[in-house]
Amino acid sequence: MSVILEGKQVTKAFGGVKAVNNVDFDLQKGEILGLIGPNGAGKTTLLNCISGTFPLTTGEIIFNGKKTSDLKTFEIARLGIGRTFQVVRPFEGMTIRENVTIGAYFGKTRALNSNPKQASELVDRILEKVKLADQKNKLTTELTIAYRKRLELARALAMEPEVLLLDEVMAGLNAKEIETTMEIVQDINKEGITVVMIEHVMKAIMGICHRIMVLRWGEKIALGTPEEIVNNELVIQAYLGERYTAYQKGRVS
Amino acid sequence: MINVLKETKLMDRKWSISIVLPFIFLLTFVLLPLTIQGYWLRVLTSVFMYAIMAQSVNIIAGYSGYPALGNIVFFGTGAYVTAMAMTHWHFPFFLALLIAGLACAFYAFIIGLPVLRLRGRYFLMATIALTEATRQVVTNLEITGGGKGLTLPVFQGTPQVIYSFFYYLMFGILVACIITTFLLARSRVGYALKAIRYDEDAASVMGINAVIYKVLAWVISAFFTGLAGSVFAYWMTFIEPVVVYEIVTSVKMYLMFVFGGAGTLWGPILGAFFIEIISELVWSNFMELHYLVLGTIIILVVLFMPKGLMDLLKRIVEKLKFKKLQNRRW
Amino acid sequence: MLIQHIINGLLLGGVYATIGIGFSLVYGVMSIINLAHGSLIMLGAYVTYVLFQQFGIDPFVTVPVSFMAMFALGFFIQKYITNCIIKWGLFMTVVLTFGFDLVFINTAMLIWNSNFRGVVPSYSGAGLELGIIVIPYIRLAIFIVSIALTWLLYQFLNHTRTGQAIRATALNREASQLVGVDINIIFAVTFGIGAGFAGAAGGLFSMIFPITPFMGVPFLGKAFAVAVLGGLGNINGAIVGGLVLGLAEALGAAAFGTGFQQGIGFMILLLVLVFRPKGIIGKQFFG
Repeated sequence: MSVILEGKQVTKAFGGVKAVNNVDFDLQKGEILGLIGPNGAGKTTLLNCISGTFPLTTGEIIFNGKKTSDLKTFEIARLGIGRTFQVVRPFEGMTIRENVTIGAYFGKTRALNSNPKQASELVDRILEKVKLADQKNKLTTELTIAYRKRLELARALAMEPEVLLLDEVMAGLNAKEIETTMEIVQDINKEGITVVMIEHVMKAIMGICHRIMVLRWGEKIALGTPEEIVNNELVIQAYLGERYTAYQKGRVS
Repeated sequence: MINVLKETKLMDRKWSISIVLPFIFLLTFVLLPLTIQGYWLRVLTSVFMYAIMAQSVNIIAGYSGYPALGNIVFFGTGAYVTAMAMTHWHFPFFLALLIAGLACAFYAFIIGLPVLRLRGRYFLMATIALTEATRQVVTNLEITGGGKGLTLPVFQGTPQVIYSFFYYLMFGILVACIITTFLLARSRVGYALKAIRYDEDAASVMGINAVIYKVLAWVISAFFTGLAGSVFAYWMTFIEPVVVYEIVTSVKMYLMFVFGGAGTLWGPILGAFFIEIISELVWSNFMELHYLVLGTIIILVVLFMPKGLMDLLKRIVEKLKFKKLQNRRW
Repeated sequence: MLIQHIINGLLLGGVYATIGIGFSLVYGVMSIINLAHGSLIMLGAYVTYVLFQQFGIDPFVTVPVSFMAMFALGFFIQKYITNCIIKWGLFMTVVLTFGFDLVFINTAMLIWNSNFRGVVPSYSGAGLELGIIVIPYIRLAIFIVSIALTWLLYQFLNHTRTGQAIRATALNREASQLVGVDINIIFAVTFGIGAGFAGAAGGLFSMIFPITPFMGVPFLGKAFAVAVLGGLGNINGAIVGGLVLGLAEALGAAAFGTGFQQGIGFMILLLVLVFRPKGIIGKQFFG
C-alpha cells in the first residue's frame, strides 16, 4: 500500500478561530477512510482544504507526490480529486445527463472525453453504476433527495478521480437507501478509487471503512482501524457513546 | 400549418424543424431586397443590428450568467475605431471592420480580467460604469473628435445599392453570430458557461477554469458587438459619443434577449425583431410616446413573460401536444 | 481657491449622499438595483417646480411634499408591481425598473416638454462671505437639509417599529417573516422611502441644476457611485460616499476642467468595484 494523499500540519484559520488545527494525516491508495467527529470539528473544512476551495493558513497537502495546497480549485480537480457537497449543489435546470457530462468534460480524463460520443459512453457507464440510468433525462428539479445525492456522486465520478471526497453523502437517506449507497461506494472503491468519507451514519462508517480518522475541535484525536477507534478512550468520550461501542464490540470481532 | 406539420410527423422530429424553419427565413431575407422598398430595408438592417447585439449579450449574460447591462461600450468602441481608421488613417472599410472587431475583443480581454471577478449586481454596475467612463474619455479626446463626433467617408452608389450593401453586410454578420453561438452552446465551452451560470463554485470543483471561459465569452460578445458598431458607423457616416454609447440602447438590447429568452439560440433574434419593429412603428407614428410604449412593454414583459418568448412558445407547443394526446384517447 | 473647491465639493456631496442613501437602502433591503432612481429625482424636482411656479411656494417648504409624493408613487409601484416579480431575481427587477424609468421620463416630456426650467427663489445668488470664500446660502441650506433628512432616517430606522422591521428584513428575510413581519408592506415602505429621498433630493436639486425630463440620468450614475463607495446597503457609508464623490468632482473639475466632471464619478465607481467592491468603509451592511 502506498500513500496517495497526505496532509502535513494542515491548519486553516478564520480570523482567530482555527477550524482545522495542525492535522497530520495520510491516505493509503485504495482505502476507504472515514472522517468523523462532532459537528463543528472541522471535517468539511478539511475537505475544503484538500479540494482547494479554501487556501491553507499553514501546512501542506501533497497528492501523488505533488504539493497541491498552492494550486487553484480547478487545477486540483483536474489532477484527480473529486468531491461532493454536504448540501448538494447540482446544476439546477440541467438534466441529470448534462450534469454528469460536465464532470466528464472537465475532470482528470477530459482530453479523452472531449467529444460528445466518448463522454457519452463514460456518462452512461457511471449512471448505470450509481443506479440512475433510468432517470437520466430528468431535470434535477424533479429528483428526490436520495437521487440528488447520487447525482452529486455520479458527477464527481465522471471526473474519473483517483481520490473521491464524500461529504455526508448518506445524510437524509432511509435505511434502504443507505444500504444501496454503501454498496455503490464499495463498488467504486473496488475499481481502484480511494475514498474519504465524512459521515455521521455509524453503520456506514463501521461497515465499509478500512480506517477512520476522528477530529474534534479542529484537531485530530485518532486515526486507525474501526476496531482501534471503537476502543479508543478519547474517541469514546468525544463522540461514540458507550452503548454503541458495546454493540460494535459484539459485531466487529 | 401546424396541423400539416403534425400530420406529416415533422413536429415530432425536433431537429428538422430547427433546420427547415431557419433555412426558410434565410432564403426569405436573402431575396427580400429584390422586392421591398428602401425604408423597410433600412428598418430590417436596424433589426439585424439589434439582433447581433442582443445575441452577443446573450452569450455573456444569458449563457454565462454575467449581466452585462453596459455591453454597448463595445458597440461604441467598434464605431469609433472604424471611424478613426477610415478618417485618420484612410484604411479601407473591410480592414477597418476587422480591426474594430479585434480591438473590441482586446478591450474585453483586458477589462474582463479584473471586472469579471465581480459577481451579479457588482458586475452589472461595473459594465455601466465602464460605458460611461469610456464615453467620457471619448468625449474629451481630440483624436475622436470630442463631443462633436466624427464623420466617415461616404459609401459610393445609388440609394438602392447603399441600402442593399448594408442590409447584406449586417445580415451576414448576424448569420455568423448565430452560427458561432450555436457551435459555442453545443461545445464543451458551452457546457462550462452553463455550469458557471448555475453555480460557479461547484463548476470550479468540477475542474472548470471559470476565468478563462468567462473572459472568452465576453471576448466573443465584444467582437460581434464591435462589428455591429463598425457597420453602424459606416452606414450613418457620422457618429457621436452620446449616440453610440447610449445606455438606453444598451438596456434595450438587454431587454431583447430577456424578452426572447435568455440562454436560447433564437430568443434574442426573435426579441430583436419584435421590439425593434414595434419601436420603429411607434417612433414613426407616435414619436412623443416612444419611451412610454417601450417602458410599458418592458413592464408587461417582465410581469407576464419573465422566461421570454421562446419559453412561452415551448409551453404553447407542449399544450398543443398534450391536447392532441387527449383527443386521441377519446 | 483650493478651499473654495473643497467647500463646494462638500456642500454638493451632502446632497449626493441623500441620493446614495435612497439607492443603497433599496438595494440593502430588497436587493433591487433601481434604475428609475434618477427619474424619481427628476419628478421630485418637477413637483417643486410646479408648486413654486404656480403657487409661489418656497422650494424648501415643498421638499417634504416632493418626498411624500415620491414616497406614495414608490410605495404603490412596489406593492402592486415589483413585489410580484422580486422572486424572479436581479435581471428582471433591473429591467423592470428601467421600464418605469422610461415611462416616467416620457410622462414628464408629455406634461412639461423638454425645455430647461429652473427654480430661482429670490434669495438665490446671495451667499455667506468669509474672506475670499463664498458659500452660497442656497447650497448651505441644501446641505443642512440633506443632513437633517439623513438624521431623520437614522432615527426612523433605529427607533421605530417599522424601521427596525426594515433592518431585520435586510439582515434576514426569512427570519423576519417567521417573527411576523409583513414582508410585502416592508418592501413597499422601503422602496417608498428610497423614492421619497430621491424626490426630496430632486426638490433640492431644482434650485441648483436645470430641470429637464432627462436630468435624472447622470444622477443615477452618481447614486450608483455613492452607494458602492459607501458599501451597498450601508447608510452611514453612503454619507461618506456622497462627500467623497462631491469632493472628487469638485477637485477633478478644478484640475481637469468641467468636461471630465461627469466622468469622474464613473471612473471612481469602476476603480472601487474592481479593487474594493465592499466600498471604502468595508462593511457591507446596514445602519
